[in-house]
Amino acid sequence: MKEQIPAIQSQALAQIASVADERSLDEVRVAVLGKKGTLTQAAAGMKDVPKEEKAEVGQLLNAARTAITAALEEKQAALQAAADRAALAGIDVTLPARPPATGSLHPLIQIRDEAISILRRMGFALADGPEIEDEFHCFDALNTPADHPARNEKDTFYFDSGKLLRTHTSSVQIRTMESQPPPVRIIAPGSAYRRDEIDATHLSVFNQLEGLYVATDVSLPDLKGTLEYFFHELFGPETEVRFRPHFFPFTEPSFEIDVKLHVKGQAPRWIEVTGCGMVDPAVFDAVNASRKDKAYDPETTTGFAFGMGLDRLAMIRWGIKDIRLLIENDVRFLRQFA
Amino acid sequence: MNISLNWLSTHLDLTGKSIKEINDLLTFAGVEVEGIETKGIASEKIVVAQIMESVQHPNADKLSVTQVDCGEGQLRQIVCGAKNYKVGDKVPCCLPGAELPAGFTIGETKMRGVESKGMLAAAEEIGLPKGEDGLLILPADFPIGKPVKELFESDVLLELEVTPNRPDLLSHRGMARELGTLLKQGSVGVPPASSLPTTPASSIRIDAPDACPLYTAIRITGVTVKESPNWLQQRLESIGLRPINNIVDVTNFVLHELGQPLHAFDAAKLTGGIVVRKANDGETFLALDESEHTLTAGDLLISDESSAALALAGVMGGLHSGVTETTTDILLESAYFTPQGIRRTSRRTSLTSDSSYRFERGVDPQGILTASALAVELILETAGGTAEGAVQVAGEAPVLTQPVALDAKKLDQLMGGSVSLSDAGKILTRLGLEKLADGTWKVPSFRADLQRHIDLVEEIARVHGLAKVPSRLHGSFVPSSAVDHAYDADMILRRRLAALGLYECQTIKLIADNQLIDSLPLRPMQDGDVIRVKLPLSEDHAVMRPSIVPGLVASAARNVRQQQKSLRFFEMGRVFRNSGGGKAKDQESETLAILLSGPVAPAAWNQSERPAELYDLKGLVNALVPNQTIRFAPRERDGFALASDIKAGDINLGVFARLLPTRERALDFTAPVYVAELDLTKLRKLLAGIDHAEDLPQFPGSSRDAAMEVAATLPNAEIENVLLKLAEPLLVSFECFDVFTDPTGEKLPADRKSVAYRFHYRATDRTLKAEDVDAAHAKVLETLRSKAGVKFR
Repeated sequence: MKEQIPAIQSQALAQIASVADERSLDEVRVAVLGKKGTLTQAAAGMKDVPKEEKAEVGQLLNAARTAITAALEEKQAALQAAADRAALAGIDVTLPARPPATGSLHPLIQIRDEAISILRRMGFALADGPEIEDEFHCFDALNTPADHPARNEKDTFYFDSGKLLRTHTSSVQIRTMESQPPPVRIIAPGSAYRRDEIDATHLSVFNQLEGLYVATDVSLPDLKGTLEYFFHELFGPETEVRFRPHFFPFTEPSFEIDVKLHVKGQAPRWIEVTGCGMVDPAVFDAVNASRKDKAYDPETTTGFAFGMGLDRLAMIRWGIKDIRLLIENDVRFLRQFA
Repeated sequence: MNISLNWLSTHLDLTGKSIKEINDLLTFAGVEVEGIETKGIASEKIVVAQIMESVQHPNADKLSVTQVDCGEGQLRQIVCGAKNYKVGDKVPCCLPGAELPAGFTIGETKMRGVESKGMLAAAEEIGLPKGEDGLLILPADFPIGKPVKELFESDVLLELEVTPNRPDLLSHRGMARELGTLLKQGSVGVPPASSLPTTPASSIRIDAPDACPLYTAIRITGVTVKESPNWLQQRLESIGLRPINNIVDVTNFVLHELGQPLHAFDAAKLTGGIVVRKANDGETFLALDESEHTLTAGDLLISDESSAALALAGVMGGLHSGVTETTTDILLESAYFTPQGIRRTSRRTSLTSDSSYRFERGVDPQGILTASALAVELILETAGGTAEGAVQVAGEAPVLTQPVALDAKKLDQLMGGSVSLSDAGKILTRLGLEKLADGTWKVPSFRADLQRHIDLVEEIARVHGLAKVPSRLHGSFVPSSAVDHAYDADMILRRRLAALGLYECQTIKLIADNQLIDSLPLRPMQDGDVIRVKLPLSEDHAVMRPSIVPGLVASAARNVRQQQKSLRFFEMGRVFRNSGGGKAKDQESETLAILLSGPVAPAAWNQSERPAELYDLKGLVNALVPNQTIRFAPRERDGFALASDIKAGDINLGVFARLLPTRERALDFTAPVYVAELDLTKLRKLLAGIDHAEDLPQFPGSSRDAAMEVAATLPNAEIENVLLKLAEPLLVSFECFDVFTDPTGEKLPADRKSVAYRFHYRATDRTLKAEDVDAAHAKVLETLRSKAGVKFR
């Protein structure tokens, strides 16, 4: 017995040293330490060891078990480390990715959301109205004379019913004021329609963002401050903004807003981005008549309104030269906005 | 409208004003400058040269070799083809490097073997009006070597867009008056009063005073119709008009000088006096542009006592009543026609002219006689003849302006206190308004747009400029609206779809009739449900879309033609329809459409392409509302395959379908095209999410698998329906994990399929024992066997 244990030990250690994989190592473990393993059987022979030798044999057994276990663990660790090394070797991180499908929001929606976010931050709530409108909301209530050129069948889409496709989102101003008393502080993004042949700068269906603020003591400084803030947020705080007097039937005074566009390699230039003005008292009169009350008394109620072309803002923002790219939905175009 | 700066300068001192300053001035007056064209000599390298010597070219009969003095200290040899000069003449010389209007640059060259260091030029070659043939002979006192551009008047043509409320700006005098105000040069003033005496008309009859409240005419006899003098031709050419003859040119000049359109009739073509009348329904009129028009009773005609239609009033003269080379006596019309009538006639006949443009915006009622006085003076000057002693006047000039009060408090409020009442008054005075004793403002006759307090404020704001108005940032707080909430939900959906690998599209809401076959509205269309525009721009945009799918299909087809294969699109927006065969009209609703076709993800070295299948689309819809179970319930749709209602619980969320394979082939798709259209209103509600978070399970559960053999045609939904109705409290979930068929019939009869499900069991109050699970599972299987007719393998 005293001879047998060291032999088992040295044989086991030699076997452990020689194995090359975890499975063989496990076989060695079972062959030595398993139920029928050599060392286990040797330990089972303890009962036959003379009493005076028990302590010594016991020590030998313990020492052998400790040494073998340690060798097994060490080998196990070494084999695992080698396997880990092998598993990582030869992996080329510079190979191309496994591409997931990518998508994007349409650029028009992106710029629209940016504009809406800025204005909502300024306390504007969203509003909308029908795109198939009547003449009252699209023209009459907006102080547009009965024989105004915009009402022509050559410029506006009509239906047999006499209704029309709204030529601007300004009709939402009327719809909103009809349905609620002041203060009104709304923005209305939406489609508008004009009988323009589609070309690089025109679409017969285009997108606008309308704004209206009506309360008491709304003034030109409010109009100016609000829209300056808006364009500084949209195009950067250094952006130069100017207000040019203009004419719209439903605002007075009316202005067009230009921002100075800086494009690399081009001389900076002013580009028109928005029409705006103080709500014409005639609009309030029309709203009151429709509401059958005096909620919008022109003597005490003032307001400003603005409207901008979102397609145009998108073209400015990304230097898009042909507006048709915005409706053709070519993946090669859309992918750039992912 | 075109404005010549030289012409403008006859009314206004513009000395020292740069083009940029004038541009800014107009821009901030509310006049849009659409174009600026500089006319005249541009290059500095075209200088005055004196011809010192000229000899015959040795190798060319038609050329001469000259020596010219350009003030350079030595003579310059230039070969020249012209013959109209003599030695000692001064002519323009283009030095090497000079850029010419024709677009080329002068260099040193050899002509037929003789050196030529520049070019002697004719007038038109350097950008001046064409003169006599050959070189432009310059006055002898022009200094040698001086750039020619400094010696010739150049001009600037301004293309201006005047807003419809400002007809008073549609002339050089009107524009000068406005600029004078802005430059604080003071008002250019009311035009000098007519120096012609007037007399009540004996040979003018106005039958339609509502459309023509004032008509004046004066006869001039013995005129000679011929070319206009140079100055007059140049004036007209400077704004892009073609000179015709002295009489017509004078009327055109006065129109652009004063803004009052005039018309000259050949008096010999008139029978008796002038009659201003409404046209008869169906009456024809031959315009001087040779177009023929059938008139209606609303159109205003200038006629004579024979009832001949001489002119469509204020719009265009007739072909046979105008001035020709043989005309000796003329009748010169100057009148006020009301804007509405002119606008209607011009629009209806599609006839527009400089005259109709001004009448329909409104001319100055007090400017009628001034214009004829100026025209008479110029006609006598350029065509000779004798004018009648007095202008015949019928009717009265309408009074379109009245005193307007300026409310100081409102002005202050609106301008944010940035302009004082006295400054505001100064602005109005400069604009030609006059403060009356009662404090109101008298408005000049040419400013009929100034009717109300706010119109005066507008003028003050415009002239004062918004730059001087302070900015203010404040406003009322308002509650969010239903539109706000819908918008937020839509943006969530959009971002989810983009993150799921879809590209958002924007398609035109007007579609073609032949696209309607692709439409997949939530409810099938009936006759009368389609909304058509009356006058479509083209067949491609004739119908309001009842569904977004047609637009997505067209976009996808376009991408296929561009060799794009992976087509994953969505669009959100409005759709339009009537319903009940047109009973409910013009309904607008909002939908989300999705289209999938071709590879779900790009192919790569470690990933092969897999074409999208309907289950991909189903999964996408479910990913939009992850807390819902999305089911497809087959329901046939004309023109589509695999059509199904998309359901979330009991809610009918939308429609799914595949295009018919024949349609796919017709559009050149090479992979199946799956589409869905969902009701956004319903989808938004499902986004609301959960009200209450559930606790995590406290006890482990366990699973059992079962493979069922069923008829190959049995929809999976029938198995699911049995399971959903099953009242087994321990069954918490189940999923289908395999479907196996064998068309050869070897492992399974060809008309059968094997469907494998995994069932998950768990109790909320204890760890389940194996026998509990087995008992529950047995109950599940038994139910499936009895209710769905499945066999277990």
